Amino acid sequence: MLFPAALGLGLPLGIGLAAIGSGIGIGFLGKGAMEAMGRQPEILPKLQVAMIIGFGFAEALTIYAFVTMFFLQGRIG
Amino acid sequence: MLSRGLRTSWLVAAALAGLLLPGKPYDALGILAGQLIMAVNFVFLRRLVKLFTERTAASRGPFAFALIVKIALVYGGLAAVLAFGRIRYVPFTVGLGLPLVVLFLKSILLAFGQGPSSIFARRANETVRSLRAATKLAALLLPLLFVPGLSFAAEAAKPAEGSAQELPNWIVLLHDFFPQSPVIGWLEKNQIIVFAWLAGLLFLFLSWLAMRKPKLVPGPFQNGVEWVVESMYNVSEGLLGPQIDRHFPLIGALFFYILTINMLGIFPGMKSATSSLDLTLALALITFLYVQFWGIRNLGPIGYLDHLAGSPRDPIGWAMLPVMLPVHILGELAKPVSLSCRLFGNIFGEDTLIVVFVGATAMLLKASLLALAVPPMAGITALFMMLQTLTSIVQALIFSLLATVYLYMMLPHEEHGHEESHAEAHATS
Repeated sequence: MLFPAALGLGLPLGIGLAAIGSGIGIGFLGKGAMEAMGRQPEILPKLQVAMIIGFGFAEALTIYAFVTMFFLQGRIG
Repeated sequence: MLSRGLRTSWLVAAALAGLLLPGKPYDALGILAGQLIMAVNFVFLRRLVKLFTERTAASRGPFAFALIVKIALVYGGLAAVLAFGRIRYVPFTVGLGLPLVVLFLKSILLAFGQGPSSIFARRANETVRSLRAATKLAALLLPLLFVPGLSFAAEAAKPAEGSAQELPNWIVLLHDFFPQSPVIGWLEKNQIIVFAWLAGLLFLFLSWLAMRKPKLVPGPFQNGVEWVVESMYNVSEGLLGPQIDRHFPLIGALFFYILTINMLGIFPGMKSATSSLDLTLALALITFLYVQFWGIRNLGPIGYLDHLAGSPRDPIGWAMLPVMLPVHILGELAKPVSLSCRLFGNIFGEDTLIVVFVGATAMLLKASLLALAVPPMAGITALFMMLQTLTSIVQALIFSLLATVYLYMMLPHEEHGHEESHAEAHATS
C-alpha cells in the first residue's frame, strides 16, 4: 500500500476510533454526574467543575488524534 | 537576585559564544543578541513592576514611558535581528531562553533555602496587593515574553506549512492589497503575535473600562465583569482553598487572556491566536514552570522527589520505585503537551469547520446556486459559530481549571483531605 493512501485511509479512521473512546468516556462521566445531581442537587457547583475537568481529559484523546491528523494531513498529497 | 542571575546568564552566553566563535561566528552573534534583548527585557520588566505596584499618580507617566521604551527596544531589537537575516533562529532562541532558564534554576535553588528572598516570591507578594491590576499586567506581559522566540523557532522548524486553510483576516486582506509594503509583509508573517497583542490590549482596555470608576452600586458593565471575575475566583477557590489569593493572578490572567483570544476569532476579519500551536505551547509552558516552581517551593526538594516517586511508604512502594519514577516524570512532562494540544486542537478544529462550510457556500455561489447556497449554509455556519462561542468559553475554563488542578496536586493539602473524609463520614452516618 502506498504511504499517501495508507495515510488517507488511516487518519480519518484513527479520529473515528479515538472519538468512540472519548464518547464512551464522556458518556460515563455525564451519566455519573447526572445521577449524582439527581441524588444530591446541593453539590451542583462542585460537581460541575469536576465534570468539566473530566470532560476535558476525555475529550483530549480525540483532540490528540485530531492534531496528529493536522500534522500529517499535508503528506497525503 | 535578578542582577546576579543576569550576570550568570551573561557568563554562560559568553562561554557558548566563545565556543562557537571560530566555526560559526553568526551563531555566536545570535546567542549574544538574544541574551542582550532578554536582559534588556528583564531590566525594564523589573522597573515596570516596581512602578506599577507603587500605584501613585506620579508613577503613571514613568510607567507609560518605560513601557513604550521597553516595547520599542525589545521588539525593535527582535525585528532588527530578524531583518539582518544572517543570524539563524536556533542560536538566537537559545540566547533568548538563557536568562529565563538561569533565573528559573536560580529561583529553584533559592526556594530550597531562603524562600522569601526569591524574585518570584517577592513578585507574588506584590501582586497579591493589587489583585485585579496584576491580572491585567500578567496577562499582557507573561505570554508576550515567551511568544516571539517560540514562534520563530517553530517557523524555523516548518518553513512551509501550506496544508492548513483559514479564513482571511484583515492583515491578509491588507497584504493582498499592498503586497509590496514591508510593514504589512511583516505583520502578515507574524499574525499570531499581532493578534495575541490585540487580544491583550482589548482585554486591558475592557477591564480598564469596567473598573475606571468603581462604584458601590455597580452599573451593568461593571456588574457583569465583577460577576465573571468572582465566579472564576469562587470556582478556583473551591479547589485551592485559602491559597487562592496567591495564585489567582496567574489563573485569572490565563482564563481571561485565553477567553479574549478565543472570542476575538468569532468576529469577521479577526483570528484567534490560539489556533496556532506556538501560542498555546507558550501558555502551557508558563503554567508548567509555575506549577513546578510552586511544587518545589511548597514540598521542599525532598518532598518534591517523594511526590515524583509516588510517595513510597511500604516495601511494595519502594520496589515499584524504578517504574513509578519515570512514569511520574513522563506524566509531568505530558501536562504542557496535553494542555497546549487540547486548546490548539479545539480552536483550530472549530475554525476549520467554519472554513469548510464557508468554502462550500462560496463554491455553490460560484455555480450560481444561490437558493441552495445562502439560506441553509448560512444557517449551518451560524450554528457552528454558536458552538464556537461555547467552545471558546469552555476551553478557556478548562485550561485555567486544569492549571489549578495541577497546582492543587503540587500543594500540600492535608486539611482538605481531612475535611473531605469528615464530610464522607458525615454523609454515611
